[in-house]
Order: sequence, then C-alpha cells, then structure tokens
Amino acid sequence: MVKDALSKGIIYLLLAFGAILMLLPFVWMISTSLKSPSEVMAMPPVWIPSEWQWENYQTASEVAPFGRYFINSIIVTILSTIGELLTTILAAYAFSKINFYGKGIVFAVLLGTMMVPGEVLLIPNFVTVSNLGWLDSYEALIIPWIASIFSIFLLRQYFFSVPTELSYAAKVDGCSDFKFLWYVMVPLAKPALITIGLLKVIGSWNAFLWPLIVTNSQELRTLPVGLSAFTTEAGIKYELLMAASTMVILPMLILFFIMQKYIISGVARTGIKG
Amino acid sequence: MDIRLNNLTMVFDDITAVDQITTTIKDGELVSLLGPSGCGKSTTLMLLSGLYKPTSGQIFFGDQDVTKMDAEKRGIGMVFQNYALYPHLSVLKNIMFPLKMKKVPKKEAMERAKEMAELVQIGHLLDRKPGQLSGGQQQRVAIARALVKKPNVLLLDEPLSNLDARLRLEMREEIRRIQQEVGITAVFVTHDQEEALSISDRVMLMKSGVIQQESRPQEMYKRPENEFVASFLGNPPINLLTMKKIENGYQLEKSAHSLLFSNLATYPKSIRVGIRPEDFFVTKDNPRFTGEIIHIETIGRDTLIRMQIGDTTIRALVDPVHQLKVGATCGLDGKEENIHFFDSASGQRIETVERGEKHA
Amino acid sequence: MLEKPTWKSTLKGFLYLLPALLILIIFNIYPIIRSFLMSFYTDYDYFNDIVHEYGFDNFIAIFQDPNFITALKNTGIFVLGVVPISIFLSMGIAVLLNNKIKLAGFFRTIYFLPFVTSVVAVSIVWSWIYHSDYGLLNYFLGWFGIDPIAWLNDPNYAMPALIIMSIWKGLGFNIIIFLAGLQNIGEQYYLAAKVDGASAWKRFTNITLPLLSPTIFFVSIISIINGFKVFDEVFALFNGRPGPANSALTVVYYIYQKFYEEWQFGLASTAAFVLFIIIFIFTIIQLVIGRRFVHYN
Repeated sequence: MVKDALSKGIIYLLLAFGAILMLLPFVWMISTSLKSPSEVMAMPPVWIPSEWQWENYQTASEVAPFGRYFINSIIVTILSTIGELLTTILAAYAFSKINFYGKGIVFAVLLGTMMVPGEVLLIPNFVTVSNLGWLDSYEALIIPWIASIFSIFLLRQYFFSVPTELSYAAKVDGCSDFKFLWYVMVPLAKPALITIGLLKVIGSWNAFLWPLIVTNSQELRTLPVGLSAFTTEAGIKYELLMAASTMVILPMLILFFIMQKYIISGVARTGIKG
Repeated sequence: MDIRLNNLTMVFDDITAVDQITTTIKDGELVSLLGPSGCGKSTTLMLLSGLYKPTSGQIFFGDQDVTKMDAEKRGIGMVFQNYALYPHLSVLKNIMFPLKMKKVPKKEAMERAKEMAELVQIGHLLDRKPGQLSGGQQQRVAIARALVKKPNVLLLDEPLSNLDARLRLEMREEIRRIQQEVGITAVFVTHDQEEALSISDRVMLMKSGVIQQESRPQEMYKRPENEFVASFLGNPPINLLTMKKIENGYQLEKSAHSLLFSNLATYPKSIRVGIRPEDFFVTKDNPRFTGEIIHIETIGRDTLIRMQIGDTTIRALVDPVHQLKVGATCGLDGKEENIHFFDSASGQRIETVERGEKHA
Repeated sequence: MLEKPTWKSTLKGFLYLLPALLILIIFNIYPIIRSFLMSFYTDYDYFNDIVHEYGFDNFIAIFQDPNFITALKNTGIFVLGVVPISIFLSMGIAVLLNNKIKLAGFFRTIYFLPFVTSVVAVSIVWSWIYHSDYGLLNYFLGWFGIDPIAWLNDPNYAMPALIIMSIWKGLGFNIIIFLAGLQNIGEQYYLAAKVDGASAWKRFTNITLPLLSPTIFFVSIISIINGFKVFDEVFALFNGRPGPANSALTVVYYIYQKFYEEWQFGLASTAAFVLFIIIFIFTIIQLVIGRRFVHYN
C-alpha cells in the first residue's frame, strides 16, 4: 500500500512537472503582454507585473490593424467552415446513400489524392488563383478550402450507420432526398459535424503559408499573417508582440476549453493533425 | 379508395420476388399479406408504398395509376418492423414530422399530432425521445406518425415481430381497433398466421411471389385451395396422407388401409387427403382410421396423440375424456366436410360434389 | 439495401457531389497533375503562363544546388530530432495518464493545449523564450551554471531550438493517439500478467509495448510525414529567415524561397515533387509494410 501511494505520488509529480513546462510559454506570454517595457527586460524575470499594462493590447492594435486582421480571420474561418460542412454533407450523402455509376472510381481517386501533401499543391494553386484574378481577395483565402476529402470520408462513415429503414420512413412521411438529408441525416450526424467543424475552425484560424502567399495588402491579412508581419513592424517590443500573440492564441484556447470533448475525441478517432 | 394491382411483377437480379400479382384491396379493408420468408410479401408492400418500383405491371389507387409515383407523393402511411422513429426528435416532433413536410401550419400540426397521440394512447409521452420508450410505446408512436397525415392507405411491415409475446397480442388488438376507428384501408405484412387470421378482413397467402389464396381468414382455414395453404395454416399442422387409387377407392401408401370416396369431382391416380388434428374424434363405430397410439401429450385442455398406420403417422387433438394409452389401438374419424382432398400432381383442391359413402 | 444504379440516380449522385467535386478537382486533383508537369518546366513565363521548354534540367539543377541539399539534410535532422524524443515522451506521459489517476482529464487538457494554437503565434512566444539576454530558457539554464546561449543566432543552436519547440507543440496530439491506443488494450492481459507475478516494468515491456506497436508505428509515420512538411515554425521563429546561415532551411522553406521569393516556379515545383516522393514512400511504408510487421490484435 505504501509502495502504491509512493508510485502514485511520483506519477503525479512527473505529470505536474510536465504540465508546468507545457503551460509555461502561455503564462510567460500573458505575463509579458501585461508588463511595462522595463519589467520585460528585468533579470531575474518578473512573473507577475507590478502594474498590469492593459494598454499594451491597445498599443499593439494601433501599431498594426489587429482589429482588421481579427475580422478577416473570423470571416475566413466562418465561411470556409460553413462551406466545407455544406460540401461535405452533400458529398458524404451521395457516397453513402445513393448508388450511382462511377461512384467507386470517383471515391478511389479522391482517397488517392489524400496522399499528396498540401505543400505540393501550393504552386499550381497559386497560379490558378492568380489566373482567376483572385490574388489578394477573400475568394483566394476561402474558396480553395471549402471542400475536404478527409471530412467527406469521415462523415460518410457516420452516414453509413443510419439505418435504411429511416430513409424509407422519411420518404413515406413526404421527404424528398434533400429534405431527408437536411431534416434527418444532418441532425443525426451532429456529433460528427461538430468534430469536423471544430477541426476545420482550428485549422483555418491557424493557417499561415497559404494566406501568406495569396495576400499582399494589409487589409486582407489574417491574424497569423498579420502577426508575422508585426514582428518586423513592432521591432523588439516584446510586450506588444506578446499582446498580439495572445490575441491570436486566446480565441482558440477558449474554444478548446468549451468544446474540448469534441476536439479530443475527434483527434483520437481520426488521428488527423490540424 | 380501392387499391388494384394488375400483373404486378418485381425482379431482383435473377430472382422474381413478385410474380404477376393481380388483385384488389377494397376500401376500408384490413388485408394481411401472409407467407413464409422470401415469399414476396414484403416486396409487395414496398411496391405498394412506392419505395420500390415494379419491373412490370400497374398499381392503381382508386382510378389513379400510381405505378411510377414516388413514395413521398402517394399519400401513404407506413409502420416498420423496427419502428424507424427519428431518434433525434421527441415523440411529438416525430408525429408532427409528416405534417411539417406537408407544410401544415405549426399550430394545426401540433393539435393533430396530439389528437393522434391520444388515439394511440401515448398522450403522456409526448416529450420523450424514442430511445426512452418501450417497444410497444415506440410502435404506437410509429402508428400515430403513419396516420397523422390522414393517408389513403396504411402499410404495416411486420409491425409486431419485434415485440414480446404478451405485447404482441395487445398491439394486435390495438392495431385492429385503431384501423377500424379511423376506417382506413390497411395492408399488414406478417409471417405469423395467427396474427394474420385474427386481425384481418382478408388474408392473402403468398408463396414464391404468387398469391396462393385470398379469402376471409376462416374460409382460408376451412377451405384451403391447395396443399400449400392447407399445410401452411394451423398448428399443429394438418395431416396430409398420400393415397393411391385402387379399384374401389383410395389406399393409404404401404398399408392395407383403404377408403372409398364417391363424392370427388375427379379421381386422379394419387391424391393427398388432409385432415386437421382438431377435426378428428375418437370413435369405435366404424372409424376411417385405426392404428396404434405411439405417443400422448397433454397440451392445456387438449390431448395430442400420434397414431401409426403403416408408414404414416397421424396427429390428432382429442378430448381428454377418452382414457387412451400408448400402445393401445384406437379408431379415429372426422366429419366429411372437414376432410380435404388435393391432387398429388398439381396440389390443387379436389372439390367434393355430393354426399359420399363411408368406408370400404 | 441500396437500389441499383440507374442513370437517374447517377445524375442525382453527381449533383450532390458537384460542389465538393468542383473545388476538389480545381484545387486538389488538377494541381497534382499540374505540379508534376511544372517540375519539368525548364523555361516558364509565369506572367503569361507560357512554357517555352520542358526537360529534366530542374531535377539536375536542384540536386546540384547546395541549398537544396542543406534543406534535405536539415529536414532529415529535424525529423530525427523530433520524432524519437516526441514519441518517447508522449508514450511515457500517456502511460502515466492511463494509470487511473484522478486528474488525468485535467492533465490531458493541459498537454493538448499547444495543439489548438497558431504555430506562428507560439513560435513568436518561443522566440522570446529563446532570447539570448532576457529569455526564460537561458535564465533557467543559468541556475545550472550554463552560460547564455544565442539560440536563434548561433547556427549550432538554431536546429535544437526548432526541435524543442516542435516537440512541445506536437506532444499533445501524440499523447491523445497513444491514450486511444492504450485504451484498446484489454484489462485481462494485465490481470493475467499480475496473476503470473509480472512486475510493472515487465508488464510494460511484455504487454503494453507489443500491443501498442501499431499505435507507435502510426504515430511515427504521421510524425515523420508532418516533420517533412515543417515551415510555419521556421518562418516565425527566425523572423522570416531560414535560421542563421541557412541552419534551419527546410525543404518546404526551400520551395517557398524558390517560388515566392525568387519566382523560380519550375525549380520550386521540382523540389515539391521530391518532397512528394519522400512523403509518398513513407505513406506506402505505412500502408504496406505496416500491415505485415506490426502486431495487431
């Protein structure tokens, strides 16, 4: 018993030590974001600012248009998430509940393309977007991302589990195919859709390389791109950099705390990296 | 509104599930489609619903040809074996669902749904989700959902087979009551003969995609039109004895037992004689069948005996007043009108024309 | 039972697929072909989208480019640095968390936090932690008498800095996958082993490890593939440069440089094609060999 308690104690100690290391960068970020310039450079480091400098956030927003970036990020995230959910729902329904010629081939081709990393598509997609005249526009930020083979695959698996009799019942009750999908399948697949949606929100919010190359003007930057540019614009004012970083990170942390059940189970089930 | 099927045929790959069915279901009737599994009864129901489209033939609802019409436009209500309730909707919402699809104003829809819930006696469960209900309650919801839009026809696909025995009996009576209260034409698919015989106005017995006989339940039992119908109905099953034609009548195979019948419409070389176990009685007065009792079993109020005549075993349900013993010899007889004759070759019933003579 | 396909159902099926298919064809399938072709563009006019010449020159050119070789080498070092340590740590933490301890959910949440955060933002935070004069890391190292290190400016330390941060960022994901794998191992094996008198360590090596091997394999492949794609971290950590003296130049960063900074579309595409081949090989390994060698229960 003593041995058991001892090993439990060691386990807690190890886990707690690891947890502190995991949290430290966030704590340090928030702490720095609220310091005065002199406290930032203090050695040994000051953990709790003597006076909380909330105005750092305001200053950062004045140096670079973070409000604008924030709105852009929200627009891009919301629209690409809604778009992806819609295309995914429709395609997953076709793949799971409709039998049609060529279904197997189309599905196999799509699955095959999942092996190709997105980085490889970067250059031709850039050319396509510029040929479409979409460079430096919301279209470029949103439209290439409103369909995902992985999400279709995931939702299709979920749709398979809905019994056929339910679709019969719905037809008899006066549903067309589309109404059945909308009023029965979609509500039933809510957990899967929430997971898909959340992973998309996280991915979309944090996306960097694509928004970096398709936007030129400040007005269209998303938060990560704006933040990256800010490192040059703000110089070495770490309290402002940390305030800006906090503005980028915090919304996702809040979302995670609210919806962590869906996010963690989604990751565990799908093994996808955001 | 009558439902008329005209040469209705459904072929899956190379299996003919429904083979040229022509029949009429009358307005307000409850008709059972009965038969062993794979006989085509469920496919027929799916064709009536419009969820399947026939390979050939037509379906008429009244005067309207609905053969090519989709299920959602046919104005039918349907109850499924596993209830197929929408798991994410409450009972009330489930019942309201068909009305929502018809764009009935919400207030009216709610009133009608509640009314229907009262009819099927689940008015107190409206806020529950289907997962919180018992099988019988779910079935009631399914019936209410099927009836709420006032359909022309109610189709029931083995609605009772997922319920336990006692509940099945109760729901059977409920379905009959509700059907009569609403006065709707209903088609009921089942593999359970007792269910079909007790509930329906008319029974259609199917085998291999073909209707073997359609008639009122009692008539089907009393006057089976072929050997299959005779053998399918009844528990314990009917005795079917193969008899060969001899000079003066018919002789039981591999036995000296012979019977003389003078009342048959035709006299083929070989016939099958059918007598239900309960139509036998014990008698010493010139019995048609005499043999050795090989087994006695008491089931409730009846006694079931097995009697051996040559190679043939006969089952009979007899009155327990007779003191019978295994090994004893016993005489059995049945009333003339309860003896059925079938042509061995075709299986078709041979009519009896006049009073015949007894015994040879 | 699905009805048999008809022309009508085919029309309907493709109508439902249309939105997704349209996007996927334009932005996923077409670019795969285009990217393959582009790697053979030896003379390309981007502004007018005209190809003057095709050939293998690009392949020869990038393999003669010392920067590309550096990028391949750095990416390899990065993968070799991140994957084993990350798997070792995350498996250890997952095993500890799987010990039916009370705060497991709380710890899991904390370890998972970096997963949901922007790589760019956390890289900037880490660049502050790595600050040579006022950084937290050098301060802690000072407790052990270690002199301040110029993490981000010394070519010898840039890669370790990148590796440490990447392990921190990806740990939570691996832990979740390992936890899922651990929860699939039946309690009965442990009970049987306990009855046989196996110590905790014996139980770990004889039950947990072999039964967890499919998960270890899966996590390794995923980590390797993701490691080869590293870019955001480099860009943000070194402030839009590939580290001091190209010490953190990775393959994707090389692609970005060639393509976005130098407008060498052909060379960039060729490098992307090489990246694809590398990742493809690991994907195939996962699909084919994984099934044969790994212990699935």
